[in-house]
Amino acid sequence: MKKTFFFCIYLFLSINILCVTGDVFKEEIFIKPLPPMHLYVNFQFITQIIGDAFEHSHLAPRSLREIMSHYQVEELHLTLTEGQWRHKQWGYPVLDAAPGAELYAWFSPNVSNVDEQWKKLSSTLSGLFCASLNFIDNHNTISPQMALWPLGAMYTNVNSTSYLRYASLPREIVCTENLTPWKKLLPCESSHGFAALLNSRLIHNTNYHSIGVHVRKTCQNEDCTDHNLEIKQTVSLVYDFKIINSVNWSFKLLFGQGLFGACPMSTSSKIYVDITSNSTVPFKLTPLPHNIARSSRGGSETIFAIYDINHDTPMINIGAKYGIDNKFLLPVSPPLHFNRYVLGYGKEFGGIVTEITNTYWAPIDIVLLENAPWWLPIQLSTLRVNGEAESNLVMKQYYSPGRSRQRPYHLELLIRLPPKSTTTVTIDFEFVFLKWQEYPPDANHGFYIGSAIISANLPTAKNYTSLPIDGVTFDSVFNASKPWYSAVFRTNGAMVSLPTPDFSMPYNVICLACTVVALAFGPLHNICTKELVLKPTGSPLSLRQKVINFFKKKKD
Amino acid sequence: MAVMLKYIIAGLVRYWLIHTEYWQTIANRVEIATPLNSWKRLIEGVYLYDHGINPYEGDSFHESPIMLIFFHFLLKYAPFVLPVLFTLVDMLTAYFLYKTSKAFVQILQSNQEKTKKTIAEDSKALLLDDTHLNEVPEYVLSVYLFNPYSVLNCVGMTTTVIHNLLVAVSLWGAASGHRLLACSFIALATHQALYPITLIVPISILLADVNKGCNKCSYIRTLLVFVVCWGFLIFISAYIMDGSYSYVYNTYGFILNVPDLKPNIGLFWYFFTEMFEHFRLLFVCAFQINALILYVVPLTLRFKKEPVLLATVLIALSTIFRSYPCIGDVGFYLALLPMWKHLFTFMQQKFIAGCAFIITSALGPTVWHLWIYSGSANANFFFGVTLSFATAQIFLITDLMFAYLKREFTLKHGSSRQVDGKPAKLVLR
Repeated sequence: MKKTFFFCIYLFLSINILCVTGDVFKEEIFIKPLPPMHLYVNFQFITQIIGDAFEHSHLAPRSLREIMSHYQVEELHLTLTEGQWRHKQWGYPVLDAAPGAELYAWFSPNVSNVDEQWKKLSSTLSGLFCASLNFIDNHNTISPQMALWPLGAMYTNVNSTSYLRYASLPREIVCTENLTPWKKLLPCESSHGFAALLNSRLIHNTNYHSIGVHVRKTCQNEDCTDHNLEIKQTVSLVYDFKIINSVNWSFKLLFGQGLFGACPMSTSSKIYVDITSNSTVPFKLTPLPHNIARSSRGGSETIFAIYDINHDTPMINIGAKYGIDNKFLLPVSPPLHFNRYVLGYGKEFGGIVTEITNTYWAPIDIVLLENAPWWLPIQLSTLRVNGEAESNLVMKQYYSPGRSRQRPYHLELLIRLPPKSTTTVTIDFEFVFLKWQEYPPDANHGFYIGSAIISANLPTAKNYTSLPIDGVTFDSVFNASKPWYSAVFRTNGAMVSLPTPDFSMPYNVICLACTVVALAFGPLHNICTKELVLKPTGSPLSLRQKVINFFKKKKD
Repeated sequence: MAVMLKYIIAGLVRYWLIHTEYWQTIANRVEIATPLNSWKRLIEGVYLYDHGINPYEGDSFHESPIMLIFFHFLLKYAPFVLPVLFTLVDMLTAYFLYKTSKAFVQILQSNQEKTKKTIAEDSKALLLDDTHLNEVPEYVLSVYLFNPYSVLNCVGMTTTVIHNLLVAVSLWGAASGHRLLACSFIALATHQALYPITLIVPISILLADVNKGCNKCSYIRTLLVFVVCWGFLIFISAYIMDGSYSYVYNTYGFILNVPDLKPNIGLFWYFFTEMFEHFRLLFVCAFQINALILYVVPLTLRFKKEPVLLATVLIALSTIFRSYPCIGDVGFYLALLPMWKHLFTFMQQKFIAGCAFIITSALGPTVWHLWIYSGSANANFFFGVTLSFATAQIFLITDLMFAYLKREFTLKHGSSRQVDGKPAKLVLR
């Protein structure tokens, strides 16, 4: 009796709060087989807070809400990634992320000192996610002018790029320590719902894994007088069939367990499996999907199998069984793919080359953002596009030179890629000799150069799985044909080996250099203060006499 | 006639070397091109300026705005004339050094006439005669034209070529008594590299000696002209950069603060690489005082009768101890040494210094290649070679000064080394 009484009170209160605040939580999984032997699994946990009431939400994590309001952040994107997404083979992910840690945020126009707020924001997030984001400082932060645009609602009469800060730490690694606090931000944490599948031992055994937090503001109505806050937490994984030792994937194999129902707080929990490749390499899904949807987007047809999960659904282990073992998918080239590498030998001079291939029949405009750290000075006079210095493919250029230990080098190019061609962008750099205390532990491991960002408005949705800008959940992808599809990609990073001094030498170097200075000082002092005189020498003493003289003096 | 031939051959050698495929290698070598004078950085600065980006915002360009504007117009309208320009500037430097040594020889002869009475009898043979003295300018010219340090400096198209010309013209102006020329060119040289400011002392003494009249007025006038010229240059540079003085941090601030630790033939780079951050300011100040201020007053007091020697020694010391030396600076003061060829008989360490010069100049590029390209040596090898090169230069300069003192002593007291019939040694006391 008491139990049901308390249950009624609890239900009444939760409904009340739900009606008062109107928070909504949704969770989704998207699964897609990738050529040749990979599987892409993308988790999405979306919490929407209705209205600006930051203090009174019962689903959204308080830590994130406080960060957003305290530091006056309009939009925030944080990703922690390990591995490199292979665009040429796998197509495009739902959200691309640079290897390592990547953080960018737009601040409110009311902020007077954006750099100070940025430093505080990165330090707080570093504590929240146990990631070394506190290494983000002015010397590795840039303000992209053309490459990044807000995904949420922004003030229109303000130059938003001056309130944007972007930093990338390619050396960071992602592990359980980051996943655990990330999971704690979810309403059901990791006890119920889709997040229970995120078993860190198994999800880190992948070719590519990336966890992300994306917070943005969305409009409530047409005039956008009120906003909602949308917090999206994502996990992207790419499994390799060779690593999991089986082509027939299933939840038990991927996550170590089946799915024990959805989170009770979520209003919608769906699993989407892309079965378009079923026609070429047939597989059978078990259990059978609840419904099948066809989507035609930008000229490409996709078939989705949809599973609707409730919180009282019994344990479900979705898996695929392939009919014939020795068939695999052939990669289909996406319209835009790229490669980036470092040129040169020796530790004196080098160059960074970014090769971008446009396989589409029409020209595509892209923005290429090169973010070279301060210890890799790139020389703008050596910029060559397809070998030419002042190429007419470059329509606009922005360059902010860096300063040692203060600012990185920031180059943005708006390039029109000609159809069905490869464009090569080369820029030379010089190696800088750092002070001995600025080398990281294991100095000969090398230094990481972060990824370049390529922003494009793609004319076709081939291999494109991202959500449209006004979409919240995954089903906004269905039949979402638009005139163009905006995409932001990250190329691969690179690594260079800087010349190192000998770390065991501080005392020796100081002694030797000061000795040389003294070698000059001594004679010059003598020349300036003394004069030449003739001194009688007398007969030379024998050794015996010298020794006797020495002891005689000592006695006295 | 022989002189014209020397000019032509030297000019041809430089011009030809600029057009070989080795030009890029030479222009990129650390011994020849430092962050202050390298051709690459000049191109980068001019490129940024052409594209509307302030070249002093970044960290790559460290020349003065006057140089920026000069090369901006040159590269825009006549880029093909550059090899010829650098060769001609080097030839002009050699010509002005020739004229300076001629003027110096006349000063030396007139001084010798004045002090003939105080010379000891048996040292009359040591006095300089005209044949000796007429050979000196030719030697100076040959050394500057054909010494590999200056040739490589010119081929590398570094701005030290221009710096050498400015110092040479200023020395000639001082030796022939043209005050405005001397002061304005030394102000230009100071504006470019800061270290020639120490030369204002020997130049004022030389001008006072050459222009007979009241010495003190001459000193004050020289100083005033210099300060006015330098101030004017600083103002003009700020005017070129639209009234902002931010270029000062990239030029003078860079020379004084040494933020870039790229290896060169000097002592600063490895010292500041391996030093504790806490003591940085102390050591920067100590090294800069050593290079700029420390030896000026004592050497002036000692050598005030011989301002050209003072100038040579100050140029050499500033080359050894400056923050970003290059072999172009070394080649310049080596060309001033034949003016003192009468001191060579008194120098005791010529062989050691000469051998050390040759060995370190050959070993330096080798160990650099081993460190940077082969990865089999490490930074200590190059640092050791750099230290040896600095030591060799120090031995050369101190030996030169000792030789001067010995010659003075011998001229005054004769060449016998005997006191009361007993053998004696010449010592400093």
